[in-house]
Amino acid sequence: MVSYILKRLLSAIPVLLGITIIVFLIMSLIPGDPATAILGSYATPENVEKLNRDLGLDKPMVQRYFIWLGNMLTGDFGRSFSLNRPVIDEVLERFNATLILAGTAFTLCSLLGILAGVVSAARQYGFADKAITFVVLIGISVPSFFLGMMMILLFAVNLRWLPVSGMFAIYGGGDLPDLIRHLTMPALALAAVATGVIARLSRSAMLEVLRQDFIRTARAKGVPERRVIMGHALRAAMVSIIPILGIQAGFVLSGAVYIEIVFQWPGVGRMLVDAILKRDLLLVQGGVVIVAACYVLFNIAVDVAQSLLDPRIKT
Amino acid sequence: MTLLSWTRRSLMAAAGAALVAGGLSGAAYAQTPPGVLIVGQIAEPKSLDPAAVTAVNDFRILVNVYEGLTRYKSGTLEVEPSLATSWDISDDGTEYTFTLRDGVSFHDGTPFDAEAVKFNFDRMLDESHPYHDTGPFPLSFFFGAVESTDVVDAMTVKFTLNAPYAPFLSNLAYPTGLMVSPAAVAANGKEFGRNPVGTGPFKFAEWRSNEAVVVERNDGYWGEAAGTEAVVFRPITDANTRVAEMLAGGIDLMVEVPPTSLGQFGGDEFAVAEQAGPHVWFLILNAKEGPFADKRIRQAANYAINKEAIVNDVLEGTATVAAGPTPPAFAWAYNEALDPYPYDPEKAKALIAEAGMEGADLTFYVTEGGSGMLDPVPMGTAIQADLQAVGLNVKIETYEWNTFLGEVNPGLEGKADMAEMAWMTNDPDTLPYLALRSGAWPDKGGFNSGYYANPKVDELLEAARTATDQAERAELYREMQTIVQEDAPWVFVANWKQNAVTNDRVENFGLEPSFLLHLQGVVKN
Amino acid sequence: MSAFFKLLFRNRLAAMGAVVLSAILLLVLITPILPLNDPDVTATADRFKRPFSEGHLLGTDHLGRDLLSRLLHGTRLSLAIGIAAALIAATIGSAIGIIAGYFGGRTDNIIMRGVDMLMAFPYILLALAIVAALGPGLMNALIAVAAVNVPFFARNIRGITVGLAGREFIDAARLAGMGHSRIILTELLPNVLPVIVIAMSTTVGWMILETAGLSFLGLGSQPPQADLGSMLGEARSAMISHPHTSIVPGIMIFLIVMSINLLGDGVRDALDPRLRSGALSRPRATTLVERVGDTPAATDDLLAIQDLETQFHVGQRVYRAVGGVSLAVKPGECLGVIGESGSGKSVTALSVMGLVASPPGVITGGAVRFQGEDLIGAPYESLRRKRGDRVAYIFQDPLSTLHPLYRIGQQLAEAIKSHHKVSNAEARERAIQLLNDVRIPNAEARVDNYPHEMSGGMRQRIGIAMALANAPDVIIADEPTTALDVTVQAQILTLLDDLRRDRGLAIIFITHDFGVVAQLCDRVAVMYAGRIVEEGPTQVVLDAPAHPYTKRLIACVPELGGGRRELDAIPGLPPVVDDLPAGCAFAPRCDKAQDTCRAGTIALAGPSSRAVRCLYPEEAI
Repeated sequence: MVSYILKRLLSAIPVLLGITIIVFLIMSLIPGDPATAILGSYATPENVEKLNRDLGLDKPMVQRYFIWLGNMLTGDFGRSFSLNRPVIDEVLERFNATLILAGTAFTLCSLLGILAGVVSAARQYGFADKAITFVVLIGISVPSFFLGMMMILLFAVNLRWLPVSGMFAIYGGGDLPDLIRHLTMPALALAAVATGVIARLSRSAMLEVLRQDFIRTARAKGVPERRVIMGHALRAAMVSIIPILGIQAGFVLSGAVYIEIVFQWPGVGRMLVDAILKRDLLLVQGGVVIVAACYVLFNIAVDVAQSLLDPRIKT
Repeated sequence: MTLLSWTRRSLMAAAGAALVAGGLSGAAYAQTPPGVLIVGQIAEPKSLDPAAVTAVNDFRILVNVYEGLTRYKSGTLEVEPSLATSWDISDDGTEYTFTLRDGVSFHDGTPFDAEAVKFNFDRMLDESHPYHDTGPFPLSFFFGAVESTDVVDAMTVKFTLNAPYAPFLSNLAYPTGLMVSPAAVAANGKEFGRNPVGTGPFKFAEWRSNEAVVVERNDGYWGEAAGTEAVVFRPITDANTRVAEMLAGGIDLMVEVPPTSLGQFGGDEFAVAEQAGPHVWFLILNAKEGPFADKRIRQAANYAINKEAIVNDVLEGTATVAAGPTPPAFAWAYNEALDPYPYDPEKAKALIAEAGMEGADLTFYVTEGGSGMLDPVPMGTAIQADLQAVGLNVKIETYEWNTFLGEVNPGLEGKADMAEMAWMTNDPDTLPYLALRSGAWPDKGGFNSGYYANPKVDELLEAARTATDQAERAELYREMQTIVQEDAPWVFVANWKQNAVTNDRVENFGLEPSFLLHLQGVVKN
Repeated sequence: MSAFFKLLFRNRLAAMGAVVLSAILLLVLITPILPLNDPDVTATADRFKRPFSEGHLLGTDHLGRDLLSRLLHGTRLSLAIGIAAALIAATIGSAIGIIAGYFGGRTDNIIMRGVDMLMAFPYILLALAIVAALGPGLMNALIAVAAVNVPFFARNIRGITVGLAGREFIDAARLAGMGHSRIILTELLPNVLPVIVIAMSTTVGWMILETAGLSFLGLGSQPPQADLGSMLGEARSAMISHPHTSIVPGIMIFLIVMSINLLGDGVRDALDPRLRSGALSRPRATTLVERVGDTPAATDDLLAIQDLETQFHVGQRVYRAVGGVSLAVKPGECLGVIGESGSGKSVTALSVMGLVASPPGVITGGAVRFQGEDLIGAPYESLRRKRGDRVAYIFQDPLSTLHPLYRIGQQLAEAIKSHHKVSNAEARERAIQLLNDVRIPNAEARVDNYPHEMSGGMRQRIGIAMALANAPDVIIADEPTTALDVTVQAQILTLLDDLRRDRGLAIIFITHDFGVVAQLCDRVAVMYAGRIVEEGPTQVVLDAPAHPYTKRLIACVPELGGGRRELDAIPGLPPVVDDLPAGCAFAPRCDKAQDTCRAGTIALAGPSSRAVRCLYPEEAI
């Protein structure tokens, strides 16, 4: 197992290296440059040129790439010029917020999605199945930003149950209940789509498994039905659900962009969108590399979980 | 049946969890604390170093923490003393000598004196200055005319300009001219922008990234102490969210209310403030090639577009119709005699027919949003529909702001016939000088992206820049406006009235024509 | 095709999806000829009119444009974009996936690393960057949305291709000298295509949502052109003050995405061959009971099946799998039930403990009495208490009947712990003991194996050990030796025989093999088309089969040392049990059949222990 993990970690290195190249190329290909972005209306060619020199953007592309990569390997991600602070500070701070949001949403959508899928499968064509299918389809069919804004209108503006936006109250906040209050709506809105996808796929995975002979065996043994469903069937279904969770984690992480904008969550997704629009090269590059590394690591964890669950997988 | 019971049990558990979560939340959305004003900003500030920032959004914080040598007199765009109590201008207009205010110290306790002023300008302008690397300073060209800054004595400082430059005093009042503490720059280096120290009525307390910038009352302020204990600037980038926060009581004051949301704030618990400012929203027309090379078509466009409908309907009355290139907020330089082009589609059609341009195809650059651009997409769409109605086929291409600038600033030649644009300036000189002179064509480093050229206009603008007498300058600008309106290098669309909403706990709030947000006198109950 | 639609519309949700989607498609197709306002003409004074106002059925937007007209034109565009993007993504992604999966090795590795890279890149940022690089416009948004979905298709299709590429028909094609491109196009693609089509259909909805998302970020169609995403995006600023402008496109997006999803699910289910057999439904914990008629009276047998009728209800069709079967065993007795596949013998066996998959199975008549108590229709809990404890099963094919993810020790222990409160250590101890009982060598180590780590014979022994776990009174063995080779089969039969004699178990042994019956069973019942056609003591039936079917069945068994005897296959096929002929079900295949055989019910008749259901038996009984 340890050697398998090591092998997977090693194989992640070329992927991450590739990502650095892709993000660097994309940022170089996007028209418009950071100097124009900073100067705004005052971006005369002369001002732009001077600012580019100040920012070190006048060197050839390949050279800039290697300077960036070299610095990054020594832990120096450079300075964001749109935020005027070290990229790594900003990214880690914001990534932390995204992890709280996306992590909660991911936990929610995994638990709710699998639960809904299991109940739906266990009561196929029954009332619970139809009700769940309907709710889940609403989740899948409504853009998350739309859902988020609707939630704000209802729960924050009209009912005043929950705060509109932000991660902590400006005054008198900062503790866990405060965080939970701020987290509730964005996490639910973010989880909605993924919950739907996971529920539907869990349902079909469960149905597939429930038809298997070993379920009949379990029943023939006299295993209580609850254990048949939650033990035998779910465990076997998890083999096909876990890879879906891995993919959905990516969607949740990406979808956080919309939610972070709507709920003013100080996360990395919103930061990256802003940074792309402001052509903040180093911030985009650093941010993407860290997000991607996290995603790659998560996927390795998923594969490891999968191989722990399924003894038939050779490690 | 077991299955049924466990399903029900888990549903109960889920409902229970929801109740607990609900209970946690309670109805605790208490109002914001008294004495602390919470301001909804449109974005996270880039930096709190006045020399390093360009955005109005950031200026709104800065002017409460820092002060400049001069400032705009409340309610006008005219300059009055601030950290300088008086000044002398040499007869040739190249030497400005300022007497500084006594007894002013920075928030870190160091005194404000002539050395500090020199430090500020040298840091920005002198590439060999030890703290020049705390930049870049994108707007340093505002003081590009400054040849040298000299300390005459502890409380007197002298600027020498390379040529007469009338907007100098006004530029000193602009946020780029705000004075920072030399000691704090030395102590924090590049991080000064996150640890700002000025002389203003508020001093910096903390900056929680993407959550809030907090400033507190400066009890040692030389003037009248601030009316609130603290001000919290919360960046809320999404306009809808900002409106929702305002409605839910999460913020006390918000600026740049989306026009369509203004109706939400009609009740007694809110007050809407409005203030026209030095802003003009226009369409750059490509006068070099294509249909708009013909003055009649440019005028036709001015007649064809229903500007009343745009400012009153699309912008819900948050702007007024622009008559010419100079906004009325520059009262002293504005030509009152000028009337906007009326909405007259028949006349437009006639002009187009006269020029033989019926059914001409036009490419129209529209931006998604940007500083001072108001609601560019709906406005662009309305304009497109109006032009379509008089027989011009307009194809819109939208770009996000930075790409848009990258496309428009180098000139429209070969790409587009028209482009949206808006400017907010602090002096009537800036916009026409940078965007209407033939010497300001893109290839010469200006912003005249539509290649308008009229030797008379060039002459008037040069003369106005070097004249130091305001009445004389005003005369020159008025003449320029008449010519430019007739030549119609742009479609003059709107002058924005900046707006802000406060809730009923906020008193003494007013907006300034300068678009700056002075919160010193504001009280919150 | 009509069968497909019938299946599709049987699923009411899918039918609803199909109806909604067709309605939308129809509306969108006739949009150009509908008397609508021009979608792009502005009338700013009439902005934000509420729905149902004069001249504007759905009201107007922020520029006073007619929302209904914009909605229909926008839907047209959005659907086109969604479908086009899905097609592009599916084509490119599938091509990449098939190539990677088919060639494998280094090609696969390189391609999949590339796909990993793209997937690790947050997809919204990728789309954003693509649009920023390509410039504005709906086409570029389409390209961006399609591009970010390519990796998902590639990964999905690759997985399926890898599975197929190792299959025999691909190897055969290679050996036949077909080129790579021909194999991919003619052998692989047709097999992957259904998956691609289904993945694509669900992606269309996702694509529409994604373009809406890009519009939210300000990247999408160029004004004044309407698509659903940009309508939602433009309406966003008025969401609080004039919610109808966002709700109108919002509902349309919801309807489209929902109907596509419902229909996609329905299509997938309808295309699935298993649905036709009714097997797609999940089986309930016990077989459904809809008994009509009287319940037969109790007997003193240990286990008695009395006039059992079990049917499969698939759509309108009724398959009478078991049509009135009566069997009984006493302690220590072994009863063989023999018949061809489809004769109803397994269904009879599974009906005993309510294990017939239901739906589609329904027990419609008769009784199953264990020590006199009727099990049919018994409450779930009382049935569960007897399952595996008093009446245990041994199934065929232990690879699929053992749970692949549990260690065999756990599975054995579970059988015990479902009925007895014992500690884990004790249960494990018992499991090892059971393994020893079924003569598995090195039981201490084997107890921690997974099923896939054992041989077929070993797994079958595990199946037996599991059945023995609670020392049941009856074991129902459903073809437990069919998949095994002859030596292992003999060992297992010996094992069962020993157990029966040592423990006094009753065994119902289901098989299609007279050889096995001869070795093990005291009595035998022959089933055909859901009924018993002959029964009696094993040796008697073997020596003198009375029913022509029994005789032919015995004749099919090759005799060891019997020389080159002609093996008489029975001509024809067993009847389909949803359309049984009147009279003797075997008549169409029987060379002795008379007209009387084809009319009226023929009774199972004979002296006490011997009976036959034939008008013209081979032997008098």
